[in-house]
Amino acid sequence: MDETTPPPPPEEHSPPPPPPQSHTGSPTDFLKGVVGKRVIVRLTSGVDYQGILSCLDGYMNIALEQTEEHVNGAITNRYGDAFIRGNNVLYISAAETI
Amino acid sequence: MASQILPLELIDRCIGSRIWVIMKSDREFTGTLLGFDDFVNMVLEDVTEYEMTPQGKKRTKLAQTLLNGNNICMLIPGSAGPEEI
Amino acid sequence: MDPSATGIQEPFDLIRLSLSERVFVKLRGDREVTGILHAYDGHMNLILSDVEETIMIVDTENAPDGTVNVAKRKMEMLFVRGDGVILVSPPSRA
Repeated sequence: MDETTPPPPPEEHSPPPPPPQSHTGSPTDFLKGVVGKRVIVRLTSGVDYQGILSCLDGYMNIALEQTEEHVNGAITNRYGDAFIRGNNVLYISAAETI
Repeated sequence: MASQILPLELIDRCIGSRIWVIMKSDREFTGTLLGFDDFVNMVLEDVTEYEMTPQGKKRTKLAQTLLNGNNICMLIPGSAGPEEI
Repeated sequence: MDPSATGIQEPFDLIRLSLSERVFVKLRGDREVTGILHAYDGHMNLILSDVEETIMIVDTENAPDGTVNVAKRKMEMLFVRGDGVILVSPPSRA
């Protein structure tokens, strides 16, 4: 909880200003950070869903956009939107910097 | 009156260190623990996932990851995981 | 706050917006169904009509290479128990 992050040094190639670093590391904070970002959702079956995280709820039910279904590394399906029932979720992993 | 420590207090003391997570299935994770909640859903960083398959151990590197507490079996604090042995 | 600006605040909104539309549902046991979504609840129990079910059958005995046989069947009206649901995909909203 000690927020000792020094102010970032000014850089030439400054990307769009990152949101203020406000993560204490809890699951809730992680989820706040990844909404709208690319994520990998792995189910307990081993199937992966890669897409943009629209939102989720307390059951870990997930809404994804631009979703690709990966089985053993190969794309097996694409969905514009997808609702994933939370009980099947093994993990949600950030696929881009948050 | 024995000084009692709750199991989750121990895990709380691991925040910031490496931890080895063993799932109910043939799957394990190592990573730096960033936080967790009452369901023991865990946020890990610099994660390696180990999948034990008949073909051997399959490793997957992951960035920041929220691991569903539902499928967790055991936690080993401070361990580098299955590679250590 | 919503970067994608799709008006979805919670996952169930996606399902609510799909009522009366044809949805794709992936179920446990390598089953898939498509049908018109008439009703749902918090368990993801579903009522679908005009349903086509696809069952993937991997014949390990006669085809060890993992050949998948696909069986299809149609149903007029179907109740899907929520605990079997893995994924629901609505028609793409253009």
